[in-house]
Amino acid sequence: MARPVDASGQTGIVLNIQRYCSHDGPGIRTNVFLKGCSLRCKWCGNPESIAFKPELSYQASKCVGRKECGACLKPPFPEGAFYVVEGGENDTVKVNWDLATGVDEAMVSLCPPGALEMFGKRMGVDEILDEVEKDVSFYRSTGGGLTLSGGECLLQPDFSAALLKGAHDRGFNTAIETACNVPWAYVEKVLPHVDTVLHDHKLTIPERHKKWTGVSNERVLANFKKAYETFPNADFIARTPLIPGINADEEHIRAVLAFIRPHKNVIDYELLPYHRFGLGKYELLGEVYELDDYKTPSAELVAHLQAIIDEAFGRTGQAAPGVKP
Amino acid sequence: MVGAGHVPGLNAVVMGTAVAAGHLGWEAVGIRDGFDGLLSPERYPDGGLVALDPGLIANLDPNGAGILGQAPRVDPFHVRRVNADEMVEELDLSDLLLERLKAAGIDALVGVVGGRGLSILYKLHKKGLNVVCVPRSIENDIAATSVSFGFNSALSFTIEMLDRVRQAAQAARKIGVVEVLGEQAGWLALQAGIAVGADVVLIPEVPADLAAVATRLKDKVTARRPYGLVVVAEGATLVPPAKGEAKPNPLKASLSPLATGEASDHVIRRSGQAAAAVAEALQLQLAEETFPLVLGPWVRGGAPTAVDRQLGMTYGAGAVRAINAGSYGTMVAFVPPDLRFVPLPEAINKVRTVPLDGGFVQIARSLGIFLGREL
Amino acid sequence: MIRNLGHAGTHRRVAVNVGSGFVPGLNSVLMGVALAGGKLGWEIVGIRDGFEGLLHPDRYPDGGLMALSPERVESLDPATAGVLGQAPAVDPFHSPAPGGADVDRSDEILKTLQAAHVDALVSAVGVAGLGILEKLHRKGLHTVCIPRSIENDVVSTPMAFGFNTALSTTIEMLNKAYQAARSARKLAVVEVLGQQAGWIALQAGIAARADAVLMPETPCRLRHLVARLKDKLSARRPWGLVVVAEGAQLFELPPEPAGSAPVPDEDGPCVVPGPGRAAEMVADRLRARIEGEITPLVVGPWARGGNPTAVDQQLGMAYGAAAIQALKGGRNGVMVAFVPPEIRLVPLAEAVGKVRTVPHDSEFLRIAGSLGIYLGTGL
Repeated sequence: MARPVDASGQTGIVLNIQRYCSHDGPGIRTNVFLKGCSLRCKWCGNPESIAFKPELSYQASKCVGRKECGACLKPPFPEGAFYVVEGGENDTVKVNWDLATGVDEAMVSLCPPGALEMFGKRMGVDEILDEVEKDVSFYRSTGGGLTLSGGECLLQPDFSAALLKGAHDRGFNTAIETACNVPWAYVEKVLPHVDTVLHDHKLTIPERHKKWTGVSNERVLANFKKAYETFPNADFIARTPLIPGINADEEHIRAVLAFIRPHKNVIDYELLPYHRFGLGKYELLGEVYELDDYKTPSAELVAHLQAIIDEAFGRTGQAAPGVKP
Repeated sequence: MVGAGHVPGLNAVVMGTAVAAGHLGWEAVGIRDGFDGLLSPERYPDGGLVALDPGLIANLDPNGAGILGQAPRVDPFHVRRVNADEMVEELDLSDLLLERLKAAGIDALVGVVGGRGLSILYKLHKKGLNVVCVPRSIENDIAATSVSFGFNSALSFTIEMLDRVRQAAQAARKIGVVEVLGEQAGWLALQAGIAVGADVVLIPEVPADLAAVATRLKDKVTARRPYGLVVVAEGATLVPPAKGEAKPNPLKASLSPLATGEASDHVIRRSGQAAAAVAEALQLQLAEETFPLVLGPWVRGGAPTAVDRQLGMTYGAGAVRAINAGSYGTMVAFVPPDLRFVPLPEAINKVRTVPLDGGFVQIARSLGIFLGREL
Repeated sequence: MIRNLGHAGTHRRVAVNVGSGFVPGLNSVLMGVALAGGKLGWEIVGIRDGFEGLLHPDRYPDGGLMALSPERVESLDPATAGVLGQAPAVDPFHSPAPGGADVDRSDEILKTLQAAHVDALVSAVGVAGLGILEKLHRKGLHTVCIPRSIENDVVSTPMAFGFNTALSTTIEMLNKAYQAARSARKLAVVEVLGQQAGWIALQAGIAARADAVLMPETPCRLRHLVARLKDKLSARRPWGLVVVAEGAQLFELPPEPAGSAPVPDEDGPCVVPGPGRAAEMVADRLRARIEGEITPLVVGPWARGGNPTAVDQQLGMAYGAAAIQALKGGRNGVMVAFVPPEIRLVPLAEAVGKVRTVPHDSEFLRIAGSLGIYLGTGL
């Protein structure tokens, strides 16, 4: 796979560092999103996290128009990368995504209104941990720490392992969010440094998993099982992004419960109702979102499925921990 | 090869190319499904290439479109594959494609493509491929040529269907709001609207003021003539735009950290939304019932008109002439009364939109068709 | 009571109107009535919009009644829609009035017809309209009806006016859908007209090489549909066409608890999605279980417009003239029914309250089955 990995593990491609997260592991945490994913889930709300390389993002509403600016229509920008549709009052710039592949960080900074941005950049371990350390008082009082997610953080295993180990050295606890569609060797390298493993059970039937994410789930499930057994001291929390019409049904929930129940270190199962917050980003990347007609699940459906989970964990009648609103 | 998306009558272009090539003693082969026939030959039990020999061509249905199939996305620079580690990735297979073209003994490629395909074939040309493009655009928005292949058929069908809607609207005493193709340019909407005498035509070039549209409809729709017809191009925009998200949602920040407030823009632009949005907004201001309909998906099936068949053959033969003259890296353009070979850099990124001071707009106005705001 | 006419068969003024629901090409029916009536020296008047022209003449600046002389009618294009408009979908026996209560306006209609010196009424109506006309007949209205139905669900005739056109348009649209599906390698799920009867779905499905046809008469089990489609679709042929009538019934799959084997013949609830929603609903359920892209499309509204086929044009004229013939022959309270090769006169009482659905032993079903089209329960 063409992953731009740094063999020393000291740098990696990072998408974003988000502070004050309360839904990504215990307590208040800082979530570091790495770029690069080995699945292509059709419902993905973070399309800018899929490719490894830093990518161009263009927000048309910020463009001030050719008359006022026109910087991207001239060198050093690649020829034909940006253009204006002639005629009428058209003045806003459009992107020719096929010819804009050479646009980089340096060029992007030449856009005065900031309509052009790059998603993702290479960062170092210490740089990131310094940022994470800013909220150490929150971590102490809430039991929070560092979470690595993405994209798929396990696709940069050396970097992830270095970050997590560094977090432990500095005294924070660690968590990762993963779909685990990676060779076992990557899992083995990273998990020794993880306290809480949030992992996705997206679909149970292999052919359906392939249809909606691009690959079958056999290897993913094998990884989960081996991880549960190999790391008995880590806390595992299963998750499902609930998409009505795809997996938001009892069949799937019960199958996941059956899979996780034998392992005592799987301490919870969270439901993440499908959301459409990320759709605007497809526009920014010049991509097409395929699940246009899909709706968020109803509160009743979520409550119904949550009740099944609560029952399995022996929690009937109480508010369950880590439940998404 | 043919680019992404279906256009009626592609067989005519294929025939034109094959017959003209055969006449010069050349061999013509078609690549199935964009470039997939060469990049994923294992998927084709009958082979990824189709020999376009005289026998096959003679039996080809000129009204058909499927001989070379199609692919939803044709981009050899970003091909989605699952690798040996069962991980999904996008690969640049352009070099592999060029190798395979060479290995198959192909000296030149004719690509029947739309706007995006022009850029992709241009990139391949810069890497050394001998390529000539034939412009196909159901919306007729490729500026370097006066008439793209596929537009005439789409226009003809659109007019026929708009006639039906008008009749139904007349009988039911309602106002039909019909969404037709046209993401970037309103040619289809405008010309069809003129042909059927629509009351209102909304095109991407003119952001529409729905209050003004409602007022005009109130004038036109009377007791004596209690129905109306509004034609809306897919890419038509409204002023003021639909409202975005009101306040930031904390959950959103953690689920989708870089999300902007522009999700609502995205939703408005999908198929059917234009008609629904306009019909709904008008309904709030009018007594008569409005009903939205979407024509888009239907236009992509069906037979080509006689004009498109002739155009198809012409374009195919024109492409062969370009190859014969060594004019690679060009697009065959019909600029009446000539055929010209336009260098690709001059054809790319040029979208032909409806000029607001042009003939068609003036005609529409003289026919009393309201275009969304006072011009 | 309409005044008795002296000897039967002598009418001098005959009205003609149209029931609710748009059917293309009604002008040919009107022309048939006008020309045949004119030849007998009778006066033909059209009532606009069902009975609205009688009940609310003030709403019509040109008058609620329209003289249909042969000269007037010569200038009509037989291929266009009814110059008389069509009735609103309102039952005059239960007409909503301001204030909420329903009002019976049937007496008003009869009185107004009498005051206008109308001796008889020819009405081009569908199943619902037949019921209304029959009740009016029992109250004394002299009437002959013409069956018009886009779905062909009027009993006693296999050829209601309007069906041929709707069928023809639907087949055209299905051809396009099939072509587009084949080219794009998708499964098209197309919704067609047919809330009570599946004639259009079935016959158009046969013509357009559908893989499955879902109709109201043959409730379909989703599990079987999925299984049959999986058989038919393959790498060589990844496209397909499923035709769904608006009123098709679908037995969903029951929820299956994980770990237990699914009960082979158990079904979930039965749903009837209704017009505009049937294609979407079927496509949704198939998406979860079948690989590949599935596109829902709706023909419905498009088939309600357009010019009539040559067959319907001829049928319209024939029905119009036949209605006049029936009146001349002293008949009253009947429907003209074309049952090839004859035209029969069916008493209204026999035709009302029934819907002509596809019978279980229909030859069409057998033919569809022999072509490999999946049809639902048991077949």
